[in-house]
Amino acid sequence: MFANFLIGLREGLEAALVVSILIAYLVKSGCRDQLARVWTGVGMAVAASLATGAILTFGPRGLSFEAQEAIGGFLSVVAVGFITWMIFWMARTARNMKGELEGRADAAVIAGGWSLAAVAAFAVGREGLETALFLWTATKAAGSTLEPLAGAAFGLATAAGLALLIHRGAVRIDLRRFFFATGALLILVAAGVLSYGIHDLQEARILPGLNAIAFDVSSTVAPSSWYGTLLKGTLNFSPRTTWLEMMAWFGYSIPVITVFVRRMRPERTSPARSAVPAGASRILP
Amino acid sequence: MKRLGLLPALVILFVLAGCTADNDGDATSTAINVTGTDTTCELSSTEAPTGTITFAVKNEGSDATEFYLYSEDGTRIIGEVENIGPGLTRSLVVQPDPGSYVTACKPGMTGDGIRGEFVVTGSR
Repeated sequence: MFANFLIGLREGLEAALVVSILIAYLVKSGCRDQLARVWTGVGMAVAASLATGAILTFGPRGLSFEAQEAIGGFLSVVAVGFITWMIFWMARTARNMKGELEGRADAAVIAGGWSLAAVAAFAVGREGLETALFLWTATKAAGSTLEPLAGAAFGLATAAGLALLIHRGAVRIDLRRFFFATGALLILVAAGVLSYGIHDLQEARILPGLNAIAFDVSSTVAPSSWYGTLLKGTLNFSPRTTWLEMMAWFGYSIPVITVFVRRMRPERTSPARSAVPAGASRILP
Repeated sequence: MKRLGLLPALVILFVLAGCTADNDGDATSTAINVTGTDTTCELSSTEAPTGTITFAVKNEGSDATEFYLYSEDGTRIIGEVENIGPGLTRSLVVQPDPGSYVTACKPGMTGDGIRGEFVVTGSR
């Protein structure tokens, strides 16, 4: 039961994290009307994953190992692109909102349009097929034992619950701190997704170097332990990481963090921007 | 626009990526039952003719497990199925060339796993 619970938790955590930050952002910037798009994206990804998973589980055809890894890897790389867009889109809005009251952001900047749906869809759909296959297998086993399905469902529910807690906390904190904290967190998440995608593509033999291991700490951070699950579920930390994965992780996170920090602190370098109206200064940290 | 593009894109990707037929008509299709526990990894047969081979991996252990099919030297992954929770049976579908391979169950999803030999007979 517990092992199935951890699988559900791991598969659900990262998507729940990204979606909850996106929703917290929209709520904080007074764009509740955009929430429907986010949920549309989530709904489509869940539906597409479950449908594909059901066809593969119950239908006459299976998916080859390479194909599944290639899909996982490709979707991961696309998801990184959308999450990166989201980070800088939020950062741009943060800059625009400086000096204004919360909820009065520039409408044109806020209009993320259907990209919002795409971010949510890829964040959920990336690991959606694997999760759906796991869930359908658990459903298939429900005739003889309900434990795996109950465990998996409880794990996914826990991921959603944790996301709700993060969302509540995020909605409360100061807007500027919110942008910085969530932006930094999303960069780490995206870097993890990228290196995970690289690993999938290495397993599918689209990329080389699967056995060139940079470090292996799987004896200390066991993948089936609860902390291993949390690290894998949020940051995609792999206890056994290849050189190519590690290069991708640093190759992504270092430049993105550099650009992000520069964008988030424009007023320190530009004297013209330091003239913040007195009335607005109280919303700044 | 994006909304219209997403779903078909996923479907196309899925089709392009290629499904494998479980029953290919002229090709042979073999089912191998694999039973894994926390300490053992039993295969119903360690030999199969060339064609589509389906490993149905049942986890009777207490920890989640994975099943791998490696190349003979144990380095290249031919196929893998992960997240096999306790009580579950998941399938790995592969179409390997004739030759020698290495199978492995990995209880706890870590380490080299419990390895065994596997032979695919016949000619290409």
